[in-house]
Amino acid sequence: MRGSSTMTRRRMLETLGVIGAAAASGALTAPARARAQQLGLNESVDDAMKRVFGRRPIKDGASLIKLDLPLIAENGAVVPVSVRVDSPMTPTSYVKHIYIVADKNRIPVVTRVTLTPAAGQAFMGVNIRLGDTGDVRAIVEQSDGTLWQVAREVKVTVGGCGG
Amino acid sequence: MSDLGKVRIRVPSSIKPGDVVQVRTLVIHPMERIERDAQGKIIPKTYNYITRVVVTYLGKTVVAFDTTQSVSENPFFSFAFRATDPGPLSVEFHDTTGGRYEGKVDITFA
Repeated sequence: MRGSSTMTRRRMLETLGVIGAAAASGALTAPARARAQQLGLNESVDDAMKRVFGRRPIKDGASLIKLDLPLIAENGAVVPVSVRVDSPMTPTSYVKHIYIVADKNRIPVVTRVTLTPAAGQAFMGVNIRLGDTGDVRAIVEQSDGTLWQVAREVKVTVGGCGG
Repeated sequence: MSDLGKVRIRVPSSIKPGDVVQVRTLVIHPMERIERDAQGKIIPKTYNYITRVVVTYLGKTVVAFDTTQSVSENPFFSFAFRATDPGPLSVEFHDTTGGRYEGKVDITFA
């Protein structure tokens, strides 16, 4: 008898906890979503580049950036990308951001990585989705604000972006 | 979906002080894609996908990823950091529904 009443009480507390957590997360969702939509919108790649980088000049970073991508992606849903940038990563000169942009995706901006000198090496890797055959760019922003870009075409057999 | 939010982190087995270490991490997450109706219009709803990944080492943020729906399901990330002292390395994933998934490893020197 006593056991069952404890159970009920515990169960009720759990339920209350879940409701509380849901309410709290609801309050947190709005800003998180707003930020995400600022980064990745349904738009063309030109619009995305204009929105994210404005009119800042982007230099060719072929000597600086090593972009690792498969030549042919059989499954567009999972395409491994990795970027390594030649940088001393000291507090005065380091890579601040690495952007991955997939030109043919409906949401072209895939990810923005924010690095600190504590990373020791400007390196990142991520699995991305590709909707169609097209260029994938890596854009690097250094701590002094200069932008560098490399692009490589990836052939996609089966698109992985759905809608 | 009982695995949702399970975080896996892989660090090299032997680390020396001062090494730059590459870490791989993965979270089980659906990363919902945009759905469209028959007319091709986007169905408005809150899509559940990860928007931010934060890597913390010794209490300081080392690397952060801001991500969109163009990242694969069960997203996999790799990054590097300089191992200066033994201590915790944590990776935290935030999704659009307020979900917060954390994985932790202790960096020790062999």
